[in-house]
Amino acid sequence: MKIKSIGWARRSRVRKIRVRKNLVRKNWKPSVVLLVLLAGLALAGLKLTELKLTAQQLTGQKKDTPATGGDVAVIVNPQNPIDSISLADLRKIYSGEKQSWNSSLPIFVLVRAPQAREREVLLNRVLRMTESEYKQFWVRKVYSGEIQREPLALLSNGMQLEAVRAEHGAIALISAQDIHQGVKVVKVDGHLPGTAGYPLR
Amino acid sequence: MYRIVMVMLLGLALFGSAPVAAQNSGPQPANPAAEAQAQQETIRALLKEVNDLKARVTALESRESAAKPTEAAKPAEQAEPKTTEAAVPAPGNLPGGAEALHAGGIKMQGFAAVTYKASDARPPEGGALLGFRPGSSGNFAVGDIDLFLTSQLTPKTLILTEIAFSEQSSGEFETDVERVLLKYDANDYLKMSFGRFHTATSYFNSVFHHGGWLQTTADRPFVVEFSDHGGMVPSQAIGASITGKIPSGKLGLNYVFEYGTASIIRPQINVPGAPEIEEHNGNEITGGLFARPDWLHGLEVGGSFYHDRISPAADGVSLGVHMEQSVASARAVYVTPKFEFLSEGFLIQHKVQETGQKFNAPAFYGLISKQINARWRPFFRFQYANASAASPLFSDISLRYGPSLGVRYDLNDYIAFKTQYDRTMRRGFSSINGMLSQLAFRF
Repeated sequence: MKIKSIGWARRSRVRKIRVRKNLVRKNWKPSVVLLVLLAGLALAGLKLTELKLTAQQLTGQKKDTPATGGDVAVIVNPQNPIDSISLADLRKIYSGEKQSWNSSLPIFVLVRAPQAREREVLLNRVLRMTESEYKQFWVRKVYSGEIQREPLALLSNGMQLEAVRAEHGAIALISAQDIHQGVKVVKVDGHLPGTAGYPLR
Repeated sequence: MYRIVMVMLLGLALFGSAPVAAQNSGPQPANPAAEAQAQQETIRALLKEVNDLKARVTALESRESAAKPTEAAKPAEQAEPKTTEAAVPAPGNLPGGAEALHAGGIKMQGFAAVTYKASDARPPEGGALLGFRPGSSGNFAVGDIDLFLTSQLTPKTLILTEIAFSEQSSGEFETDVERVLLKYDANDYLKMSFGRFHTATSYFNSVFHHGGWLQTTADRPFVVEFSDHGGMVPSQAIGASITGKIPSGKLGLNYVFEYGTASIIRPQINVPGAPEIEEHNGNEITGGLFARPDWLHGLEVGGSFYHDRISPAADGVSLGVHMEQSVASARAVYVTPKFEFLSEGFLIQHKVQETGQKFNAPAFYGLISKQINARWRPFFRFQYANASAASPLFSDISLRYGPSLGVRYDLNDYIAFKTQYDRTMRRGFSSINGMLSQLAFRF
């Protein structure tokens, strides 16, 4: 009786396996189609990601893109007595903690508009913030009443040069190759642009 | 069929090649040698013009540097920085010239939010987060619509105005001039403000105003809630405020001093609809000292002391007591773009002048949040307030404490979604479970 029951169980198992095999044989087409579709979607997703990355690289949105171009200089008006500045003080100026050069000369902070290399150097090397964090930071600063105005964003280095020439308390970051007459280049941590150890590059 | 396909292919080939042929076929020069000579002459003329312009630029530069011989300090290893087109400021390069740098006019920013609040408070509570209907298990509210206006008068002078349209529990809106300040920043050591301001009794009151978008949480901690929302600390005054740095090296000491007239009106939070308490404040004086050390950017440690005299009344009827009100506070704050830790402690004392009786109300809050993946910011807050049941001013507060747990999600630089769960334990009453979901934005 016991042996019979084992035999029945084995037969039943074999029958089940056969049924499964038949099902697999009969229904393999939809499965393959589904797999192909999934693979296609995955490939399309990968391709889209690649395209997105390429677009970001082209527009310079990717933060990890290695910096190209030369050093970024710190410039002030020639009438400003300052010749050298520490990176910590530069950070204080660009984060609104230091707002005057001396008892009578307020600091007029200039920045380049988003996407400019000078702005990237400012965010990555000086402030260590993302663009979004920078915007939120200044909204909070101005709104709290702690500071009168956020840095003035200018569209070109030509505008920065003109603003620094016109405003005695102005400070700006500018690509060293764009420096021209009428502004003073300030040492950062004791280094001038182009020398070893210069921190803004 | 075969023929049709062949005809189609032939047609495609013809049409496909047509544009290429059109591109290749151009007007052929009649005399190629003469054409080449003409082009060379044009190039020569252009080169001459470029050289002339270069000479003129050099002459202008030498004239300018002769007038200001000490100006141009050139970077090392760059004897002559290359002049590019962008570097030569053309006339009108800076629209409006130098005057444009201090362009007047009024700059306006706005903050608003739509909030859904659910609470099981029994009996119902009023106060904090206006627009919420006491007794309702849950409803939407706009709360405060905040307009922030600034106008730069001179490089050192600014007008700052904050106007709030606050939704009341009845659903109507009230307009309130929250801040109007004439600010004069002489230098880093002396910055003066005159007008209506938020007092320096707490860090939260100084930094976060009615723009809820700036806060990580959906609501303010109870103790620093605005007085007219039921908060414990006097939040507004009219007068003068002076602040600035104290020369202290890397310690980064700052001071703040305020003298003005506060006029606080507080609702009784556990009895919605009950008459508000008008404090009839005398002139207040606030002094504060805090350090922002250089060695840890974002850290702020300090404290402040507030003092005034009050003669409270309800519904225009005096409570028959005169009190000295003092608020001592201490803070330790560490804020970076990715991390936020706020902690403030308060001791609010009311001394009845007639009897000499003192009522102390200690309170504190702590908030910690961390940015994750640029957009998410989970947070945890714990708050505590303990007022005597016999206090003439804070009997409605009694003892209340509890945690809040939530998350903020920044959809972009302008819109944030916040949701939080609050549990508030109360002395003599059942605990409150509350839920706040808020879509906060700036514009």
